[in-house]
Amino acid sequence: MKIEVTMPKMSPEMRSGVLCAWLKGEGDRVRKGEALFEVETEKVVCQVEAERDGVLVRLLAEEGDDMPVGAVLAEMEAQP
Amino acid sequence: MSARPEWLKVRFNREAVDEVADLMAKFGLNTVCREANCPNRGECCARRTATFLILGGNCTRNCRFCNIACGAPEPVDPEEPERVARAAAELKLRHVVVTSVTRDDLPDGGAAHFARAICAIRERLPGATVEVLIPDFKGDRASLDAVMAARPDVLNHNVETVASLYAAVRPQARYARSLEVLRYCKAAAPDGLTKTGFMVGLGETEAQIAALLDDVRATGCDLLTIGQYLPPTPQHAPLARYVSPEEFERYRRMALERDFRYVASAPLARSSYRAQEAVEAARARP
Repeated sequence: MKIEVTMPKMSPEMRSGVLCAWLKGEGDRVRKGEALFEVETEKVVCQVEAERDGVLVRLLAEEGDDMPVGAVLAEMEAQP
Repeated sequence: MSARPEWLKVRFNREAVDEVADLMAKFGLNTVCREANCPNRGECCARRTATFLILGGNCTRNCRFCNIACGAPEPVDPEEPERVARAAAELKLRHVVVTSVTRDDLPDGGAAHFARAICAIRERLPGATVEVLIPDFKGDRASLDAVMAARPDVLNHNVETVASLYAAVRPQARYARSLEVLRYCKAAAPDGLTKTGFMVGLGETEAQIAALLDDVRATGCDLLTIGQYLPPTPQHAPLARYVSPEEFERYRRMALERDFRYVASAPLARSSYRAQEAVEAARARP
């Protein structure tokens, strides 16, 4: 099953976030709870954890991109 | 690719944050974690802890370091203390931390509401310890008496910064008044724990920090937190500098030399970060 990895809303005022780094690449297996990408917020850099086990199929945002909350950053093939 | 120092990196567990946020929404409650955009939210939610923010989401003061909205105060909800207790029970908290916006508009500053919250938590969670992080109530002793009569396990009141930065950072507060709050509460309940915290990176000097530590310890204060100031927005008080973990360790030692029972000093230490550990450590100390 394909699932979308999106930009989380990390604070009530957050409208967008800068994707500062991918910690996994296309084709990588990812386990739930592993850090997947980094977002710079007003105060800190957040390492956002994967919410499912799966394989990262396609990255749709590049490092340095300012992405709106909810924007799809990548596609994953979820594994049961 | 970030200008932030490496030590200002945290984990964000969306599922855990959403779960705690949903629970708070269900009970119609605010948390300071969310309102202050706390960097530790991901970690604390993953541990299923949060700090309740009572008396509304709007503050009557406009401190230059704080992300909580300054605006028209909301009506006090008499059912809120009970809902805090129910939410704390659902989270199975063993240490419950309650704070509030500052309510200079209320005759008692919201002290009776704090006391009701303490009592409601005690009733529903008799085995839990209760920590309140209170505003200065303008130094009003009757308000402090009302809170202390409910016998919180930990009375926390933050001095926030060194004396010389009050005008720039906490213009509606007074350094001496905050010290007096700590002194008065300790005198009212010598067996209870008092706690305070302050931020660094606002432009304070080490000599000023040493003076603050002396002043706070002289009130009998037991527990201390020291953390990095992080401006919530560019409109807030500017950041003077990032303080390194090594400097935080030095500050911790300076505090321990003054015989605080427990000191959390780290870039991301916050008032109620791992507050349960702080109480347990302080109580375990001979």
